[in-house]
Amino acid sequence: MESNLKARIRPGQARRKQRTDRTVRAVFFLAALISGSCIVLITLFILMKGIQPFLPGYAYGSVSLKDFLLGTLWRQDQGVYGVGFIVINTLISAFGALLLAFPIAVLTALFIVKIAPKPVKPLMKTVVELLASIPSVVYGVFAAGVITSLVKGLASLAGVSTAGGSSLLAVILLLAIMIFPTITSLAVTAIEAVDPDLELGSLALGASATQTHFKVVLASAKSGIFAGAILGLGRAFGEATAVAMVAGNKLFGPTFNLFDITRTLTSTMLAGLKETTGLDYDIRFSVGLLLMVVILLSNLSLNWVKKKVGNGQ
Amino acid sequence: MKTNRMPRVISDRFLQLLTVLSAALAVVVLTSLFVYIFSHGLSLINADLLRSDYWSLSKIVALDETRNQPGSYPRPENLGAEVAWSEKWGVGFVDHLSHEKKQLVLIEAVAENSPLASAVDTSSGANQGKPVAMSAGLQVEKIDFTDASGTADFTGMLASARAAEVAETLDQSAAKLTSMFIKTPGGGIRGSLVSTAYLILVSLLIALPIGIASAVYLSEMAKKNKVNAAIRTGIETLTGVPSIVYGLMGVSVLFPITAAMGAKTTNILLGALTMAIILLPTIIRSTEEALRVVPQGLRDASLSLGASQTQTIFKITLPCAMPGILSGILLSIGRVVGESAALIYTMGTFINDQPGLLKQGTSLAVHIWSVMSGEQPNFELACAISIIILIFVLILNLTVKLLSRRLQKSFR
Amino acid sequence: METCFEVKDLNLYYGEKQALKQLNLTIGKNRVTALIGPSGCGKSTFLRCLNRMNDLIENCRISGEIRLLGENIYDSKTNVVQLRTEVGMVFQKPNPFPMSIYDNIAYGPRCQGIRDKKVLDGVVEHSLKSAALWEEVKDRLHDSALALSGGQQQRLCIARAIAMEPEVILMDEPTSALDPIATAKIEELIEQLKTTYTIVIVTHSMQQASRVSDDTAFFLLGEIVEADTTRKLFSKPADQRTEDYITGRFG
Repeated sequence: MESNLKARIRPGQARRKQRTDRTVRAVFFLAALISGSCIVLITLFILMKGIQPFLPGYAYGSVSLKDFLLGTLWRQDQGVYGVGFIVINTLISAFGALLLAFPIAVLTALFIVKIAPKPVKPLMKTVVELLASIPSVVYGVFAAGVITSLVKGLASLAGVSTAGGSSLLAVILLLAIMIFPTITSLAVTAIEAVDPDLELGSLALGASATQTHFKVVLASAKSGIFAGAILGLGRAFGEATAVAMVAGNKLFGPTFNLFDITRTLTSTMLAGLKETTGLDYDIRFSVGLLLMVVILLSNLSLNWVKKKVGNGQ
Repeated sequence: MKTNRMPRVISDRFLQLLTVLSAALAVVVLTSLFVYIFSHGLSLINADLLRSDYWSLSKIVALDETRNQPGSYPRPENLGAEVAWSEKWGVGFVDHLSHEKKQLVLIEAVAENSPLASAVDTSSGANQGKPVAMSAGLQVEKIDFTDASGTADFTGMLASARAAEVAETLDQSAAKLTSMFIKTPGGGIRGSLVSTAYLILVSLLIALPIGIASAVYLSEMAKKNKVNAAIRTGIETLTGVPSIVYGLMGVSVLFPITAAMGAKTTNILLGALTMAIILLPTIIRSTEEALRVVPQGLRDASLSLGASQTQTIFKITLPCAMPGILSGILLSIGRVVGESAALIYTMGTFINDQPGLLKQGTSLAVHIWSVMSGEQPNFELACAISIIILIFVLILNLTVKLLSRRLQKSFR
Repeated sequence: METCFEVKDLNLYYGEKQALKQLNLTIGKNRVTALIGPSGCGKSTFLRCLNRMNDLIENCRISGEIRLLGENIYDSKTNVVQLRTEVGMVFQKPNPFPMSIYDNIAYGPRCQGIRDKKVLDGVVEHSLKSAALWEEVKDRLHDSALALSGGQQQRLCIARAIAMEPEVILMDEPTSALDPIATAKIEELIEQLKTTYTIVIVTHSMQQASRVSDDTAFFLLGEIVEADTTRKLFSKPADQRTEDYITGRFG
C-alpha cells in the first residue's frame, strides 16, 4: 500500500504545476491591469472627445472655449453652447441638497446609533438601506409625481407660478432625498466607531447623555461624517436621469429663484439626445468632461477643508 | 446648579426630539414613495403587461370569400354578461378602458366556425396572405361591410361605436364583411424584460471573470509595489465616476467593438459592455471582502499538502468565498436593473419589442425614462415598471443580507 | 543516527528585522525533534522554513542552507510544490477544509492528479488508520469534516498530511487548542508515527517536549541556544539560559 502513491504521480507533475501557476498569475495580473486601467481609458477618451470642438480643425465648425465656459445661453437649435450658467446651477443644486440632507442625515444617524430604542434600531437601518437601494429612475418618477406637486402647492402658497412644479427646489429636494442614505450610512459607521471611553469620560464630568452625544460623539466622528458628505456631494453632481425629469431645462441662467426651472450639467447631457454625430453630440463630451472637473475640484477642496477641520481639533 | 437644571433638561429634550423628527422624516419619505408608486402602478400589474408588446401592430384583414356570409352562431355559455355577441357572425366584443384612458373595443371571443376564423392578412409586408388568429384582446378599429343592398358602411372604434353597437350593427346590417382594421394590444414590457435579461447575462459574463480574477490577483498574489498600488487606486476611482460618464465612455471607447461585430446604432451589447465596466468595482470589492474572511489556515493547509497556488485558489479559497462572491453577483444584478443614465447613451431609448444583442432596446429602467420623457409622461406605466424593479431589487438586497450573515457564520 | 535535515548558517529577515540568526541544527531521521522556547523566539518561523511556507510572506529573505536528505531545499532548482509533498505540516489550530472527511484526506493526492477511486479509497483508509481515527469515522466518511470534535479534527489534519506519504511531518503546537484528553491521544499518535516519519514539533509546553521528543532544540531571540537529546537537555543543560527556561525562571 505505502510508497504506492508517489509512484502513481506522473513524472514532471510538480514542474507542470509551477508552469500553470506562472500562467495563471500572468492571466490574473492581466485582468487586474484591465480593471485598473479602465479609469485611464475613460479619462483619456473623454478628454480627447471633449476638447475636440474647441480645436481649430474641428469638422463642424469650432466653438470658442471662452464662450463655452462663460456662456449664459444654451440653445442647441441655434448652435449656441454656453455652459457657464449650467455649472453655477449644478453647484447650487448639489450644495443646496447637501445643506438640506446633511443635518437630517447626521441627526438620523445619531438617532439610529445612540437614541433609538433597541427594536427600532435595525428597523431604521433597514429604512436607510432601502432608500439607498432604490434606483435613481424610480426616484425620478416619484419626483415627477409627488415632489413637483408639493412644489406647486408651495408656490401657490407663496403666490408664484411654476412650470408644473419642475424647478430648482424640486431638484434640490430630490437630490437631498437621494444623498440622504449615503451620508447617513457613513455617519452611522463613524458614530459606531467612536471610543466608548470618550463618552464615559464626558459623562463622568457631569454632562448629560444628550450633551455627550452632541458635543463629544459627533466631534469625534467628524472625519467619517465629513467623508459621507463628500461622497453624497459626488452623487448629487453625477445624478442624471432623476434630475432630468424635474429640472425643466432652462435655456439661460443662472437660476437663483427656487421656483424657477433650472438646468444641470447632467440634465443637459441627457436632453434631446437624437443624433450620434455632429457638434450637438460631441459637445456633450465637453459637458461630461466639465462635470468630471467639477467633481474633482469640489472633492479636492472639500478634502482640504476636511484636513483643516481635522487639524483644528 | 439648581437654576441651571431646568434649561438643560429642556435643551436635551429638544435635541432628542430633533433626531427623532429626522428619522421620522426618512420613514415618511420612504413610505410616501412606496405608497405613490404602488397606488399608481398596481392596477397595471398583470400577466398581460409582462407578456405583451409595447407597440401595437396594425393589421388589415379580409375574410375567405366562400365563407363570408352571416350564419347562426349561438352565444357560448361561458361568456360574461358584458360581452356583446353577434349571433350572425359568431364574434363577441367588450368595452375596455386603456391605461391612457382611451375607450377601446376589443374582441373577446370568436366562434370556432365563424367566418372571422378564416381571416387573412392583407396589409403589405412579410405577413401578407398569411392567416391571422382573431384572438381575444385585439382592438377593433374599423370593420367595413356591405349591407344586403350592396351599400358600403363601417363600424368600430373609428365610428365611435361601443361594443354593443358594433355587435348590433353587424347583426342587423352586414351581409358581407369587406375588410377589418385591427390592432394588437400594446403598452406591454415584454421586449424590455428580454433586453434586461440580455443585459444582465452579458454584462455578468464579461465582468465576473475579469472582476474575480482581479480580486484574486490583488488579494492573493499582488506584492506591495507601485504598479499594484496604482491598479488598486484605479479601481477605487472607478466607483466615484458618475454613471452618465460611463455612458460617454461606452459610446466613444466601446462602440467600435460592437461596430466591428456589425452594429450600426447603439445596441444592447454596447450597454452590456458598458455595464460590465460599471460592475467591475462592485464585483472586485465584494470578492476581496469574501476572500479576506477565508482563514489563512486553509490556504496554508492546502499549500502544505503540495497543492500549487492555482489549485489552492480554485479548490479552496474561491469555493470558501462563494457566498460573498454570490452577494457581489446579486448586487451587480441590482445595479444593472437600476441603471439608466449610462444605458440611455449606449442602448438608446427606442423601446424594441424584438430586441437582439446588436439591436437597440431598453432595459426596464430606460423603458421608464422613455415613457416619462415624452410629451405625455405615462405615470401609470412608469409606476408599474417601478414596482417590478423595486420588488426585484428588494429581493436581491434581502438575499445579500442573508448570504453575508451565512459567510460570517461559517468561519466564526 | 541517519540525518534528515541539516541546517547550516540559516538567517531570516523580515524586511530589516532579523528574525533568525545563524542557525545550525541537525535533525535525525525517524526521530521526534522538539523546538522549545518562549513565544516570539522564532521556533515557528524556523519550522516554516523547513517546508518553505515562509515563501508566502512578503519581504522575507533567507540566507544559508537547509538540506533535506542531502538536497538543499533553498536551491533555485528546488520545486517548492514537490518539496511540500515530502514535508507535510500540521498547524496550531485544526484547519480541516469545509468538505467531507473523505475529500479532506483525498485532497493532497487529487492535487497530484490521482483520480483512481480504488487508490484514493486505499489512501483514505490507510491514513485514517495511521492517525487512529478510522474506527471513529469509518461510517461517516462523507459527512462534513467540520462536524468532528476539535481533537478529531486535528487527527484528521494529521491523517491528511500522512496521505501524501511524506518523509517529514512538521507540527506547529498541534495540541495548543485541544483539551488534555485529546492532547494525550495526539501525543500517543506521535509516538506511533515516528517509526515511519521524521517529526519536528514546536511546543509551548516543556512537559510535552520531554514526553514525546527524542531531541530538543532551545530557541531564544532567534537563536538556537542549545540542541541535544531531550534527556540530556532537560537533565544537564550546558547553557545557563536553558536551565533558567526549563526550570521556569522565565517564559
